[in-house]
Amino acid sequence: MLSHPGKAELSPTRKGNDPATELQALLDAAADGIVIIDHRGHIETFNRAAERLFGYEQGELVGRNVNVLMTDDDREAHDGYLARYHRTGVPHIIGVGREVTARRRDGTTFPISLSVGRIGRADPPRFVGFLHDMTLRQQALIAAERERDWTRAAQERLTQVSRLATLGEMIAGIAHELNQPLAAITTYAQGSQHLLDLEPPDINEVQDALGEIASQALRAAEVIRRLRRLARGQETRRESCDLNEVIRELETLIETEARLHDVRITFDLTPEPLEIYADRVQVQQVLLNLLRNATEALASETTDRRDVTIRTRLLTDGHIEATVCDNGPGVDPKIADRMFDPFRTTKASSTGLGLSVSRTIIEAHGGKLEYVPDRPRGASFRIRLPSAEGAAG
Amino acid sequence: MKERVPTVFVVDDDEAVRSSLRLLLKSVGLTAVAYPSAQAFLAAYSPEQPGCLILDVRMPGMSGLELQHQLNARGAVIPVIFITGHGDVPMAVEAMQHGAFDFVQKPFRDQELLERIHGALAKDRETREQLRQTDSIRQRFATLTPREREVLTLMVRGKANKVMAGDLDVSQRTVEIHRARVMEKMEARSLAHLVRMALDAQLDKESAAT
Repeated sequence: MLSHPGKAELSPTRKGNDPATELQALLDAAADGIVIIDHRGHIETFNRAAERLFGYEQGELVGRNVNVLMTDDDREAHDGYLARYHRTGVPHIIGVGREVTARRRDGTTFPISLSVGRIGRADPPRFVGFLHDMTLRQQALIAAERERDWTRAAQERLTQVSRLATLGEMIAGIAHELNQPLAAITTYAQGSQHLLDLEPPDINEVQDALGEIASQALRAAEVIRRLRRLARGQETRRESCDLNEVIRELETLIETEARLHDVRITFDLTPEPLEIYADRVQVQQVLLNLLRNATEALASETTDRRDVTIRTRLLTDGHIEATVCDNGPGVDPKIADRMFDPFRTTKASSTGLGLSVSRTIIEAHGGKLEYVPDRPRGASFRIRLPSAEGAAG
Repeated sequence: MKERVPTVFVVDDDEAVRSSLRLLLKSVGLTAVAYPSAQAFLAAYSPEQPGCLILDVRMPGMSGLELQHQLNARGAVIPVIFITGHGDVPMAVEAMQHGAFDFVQKPFRDQELLERIHGALAKDRETREQLRQTDSIRQRFATLTPREREVLTLMVRGKANKVMAGDLDVSQRTVEIHRARVMEKMEARSLAHLVRMALDAQLDKESAAT
């Protein structure tokens, strides 16, 4: 077994040293494993870094087939590569380098980056392999991926929580919206009982009332259906959908809210469908947030007309735009640049996540959410999304 | 004068609630007229029309509470029954403080609502009867001469003839004649009756105004 010279012996000023000792010193100083094999694959040199990586000592390996350092899969193939190169001169790995799995003396495996070169013009050929341990890098990659997954999951949970919080804040309005048809149903039914008690009973009126009862029950069911869609679980699902239709589905919920604050909502939507590729519930969540913000901004205003407009249009660059405008006081310039930060709120009953989550959602869809102050008063929030073709392609 | 039929007015912006109430009221033989907004009701309403008002607290435009304020400002006597949702208790309290007759939460039981409506209609009849009486007292009061009004004021304050004679600087005999005229013109059965009429019609304010 060759001795491992120390650093001092590497000094080029030292005279009369043996080239073999010099070479071994160079090899042993390398941080990566270095293995030299002959044309049959038998190990000639195995440096110190390689000893550390594999748990073998050089003496144990010299003369043995290099495939002991490989996993079973590679082991079979390796002799074949060597034989083919010897026969045809066509390299398999030489000069390319790749990531392979290596096997330690104790049978455990680890990832390495392997690059192989042919030594000089030696005939039969000899080869040198450089082996760089990739364990840390791979662990870092796995950790980074895990963190990405975790962040994505946390983001989705936050989106969900924020959506449910929004629905929670709207519960009074929703209850009112359900109570109306229930009140109508109850009253129609009780009126019908009286009509049937008459002599003779007024069957025609009762028939009309029954029709009304049925349609009011459907009205209540529709409120619940929309609510359930919004409260749905956290799996995200993107699909091609018409932004105008996504907006129209919110009409009942937001109009309830608007009634409470005596606000008039105008839907200024393009007549033709605007196809986006999006999670419709998340987009509805954003729109609901913006519409509620606009409505609430007007609540404390004394103006005669409190108007909120939601407008859609197709931009010349193919993007699709939805704007929510109100004629309220606008956003205080002091907070305008921070209002998209989480937990920034001026409302006592709010989580302060609305705008922050909204922007995250829109950006995740490859879009933009921006605040545009209106003159002389009012605020506009503008969403731009890629069209379905752009987004899916 | 033609007696007007008491009418139940319904003001609710929800078409279904409005029309179901109309059906219920009609089914028990009540005359009902429904309006979709406070403004529409105010435009059509004549204060002479007896009846009661069923009013939704929450409405866009003018809310039920605002309509109540408008009616109060106009001196309208129509009793108001508010219909409220579950979360509107503070609004209901405010409405009661401003003289609402009652409130019911929707959805409501028909008996509950109908009892309140009958109560409100009875209250309206009573109020209108009182108003008619007050009007008639004021009309009679208007026929008194200034001197007779002075005498009435002193009578209501319980002054004796002798004191009045001194105050007005006339003879006791003259006071007695004025007294008799006042009792006759006011159609008072007794001094107690005159005092009550004066209080009911607030004649002290009336005489200060003239």
